[in-house]
Amino acid sequence: MIDAALSSSGTQIVLASSSDENYPPENILNGNTETFWISTGMFPQEVIVRFRSLVKIALVTMHSYNVKTLKIEKNTLNDTLEFEPVAEKEFECTEGHLQTNSFSLPGTGVTHLRFIITAGYDHFVSVHRVTVDGAQE
Amino acid sequence: MVKLRARCIVVGDSAVGKSALSQMFRSDGAHFQRNYSMTAGVELLVKSVNIPDSSDSVELFIFDSAGKETFAEPCEKLWGQPSVLCLVFDLTSEASFRNCGRWLERVRTNSQGQQVPGVLVGNKSDLSSRREVEKAVAQNWAQSQGLEYHETSAKETENCEAPFVSLAQAFYSMYQDRIQVIHSLA
Ligand SMILES: Nc1nc2c(ncn2[C@@H]2O[C@H](COP(=O)(O)OP(=O)(O)O)[C@@H](O)[C@H]2O)c(=O)[nH]1
Ligand SMILES: [Mg+2]
Repeated sequence: MIDAALSSSGTQIVLASSSDENYPPENILNGNTETFWISTGMFPQEVIVRFRSLVKIALVTMHSYNVKTLKIEKNTLNDTLEFEPVAEKEFECTEGHLQTNSFSLPGTGVTHLRFIITAGYDHFVSVHRVTVDGAQE
Repeated sequence: MVKLRARCIVVGDSAVGKSALSQMFRSDGAHFQRNYSMTAGVELLVKSVNIPDSSDSVELFIFDSAGKETFAEPCEKLWGQPSVLCLVFDLTSEASFRNCGRWLERVRTNSQGQQVPGVLVGNKSDLSSRREVEKAVAQNWAQSQGLEYHETSAKETENCEAPFVSLAQAFYSMYQDRIQVIHSLA
């Protein structure tokens, strides 16, 4: 098992619906929960992550703040034109500390993951880290 | 440099001038956020407001209902998750001012405990001979509700930018506030 979501494994952000240059979406993939990406207003918000090659996923974990509902979609294509839903969850509100939520997706093969935040507990939500436990081909 | 996006809902009795006021803000070539779902019978107006002494801006997405607004009608769908609130009454209609409390309550019920910066706007200031609501009265009530008060005339394009600029600034301050909070978590 490796963390396939680290940018050091060649994983990239291909789209983020918000951008404050001080809080870039790449902060999600640097393995550090002290740095983060922040949404800059309104919902939905989304981030699309591209893996260097096909990953067989076991578990996806997100560290965030004030996210209310998250949808995860995936594909196995080279582009981001089509996605299919894989998971959806309502997070608990955690005042004063980060939210940690895991999604067990055993054996799901993906080249892209799309994280869609459809609602927040506040106007602005932050994502600090995403880890993807899996095996990369 | 950051560009914030705020969903601005314009609320108040029918015929107080909500559409007229929003139209003052029409900007052409409005870029629409990918994936954004629209409700039928709604007009969207987009206007970018620059924040003074910064290279930052707030893009206001002003949602205006096409029909008549009544308390019976469910406008919550149109409101979505509001970022900022523009509550409008007609200075020549005492009744439209009295209803502001009900509109505010309705928005607050719908915003699930989230802080929603707001302004109170007394519109139709050009019709001064028919004024039914004194400035001091409106101002006092606005203050008691945590709203900033503005008087406008959409007809004479008098002071129409002020309420929206003030909303953009309040939203921007809130953003800076939240960033501090999130930094303190890590
Ligand atoms: N005299 C005057 N009339 C206004 C003003 N703003 C709007 N109106 C008129 O009030 C009526 C209702 O305006 P509208 O924008 O449709 O109100 P809404 O139902 O709240 O959206 C229209 O006839 C407008 O021309 C204003 O500032 N002064
Ligand atoms: Mg109207």
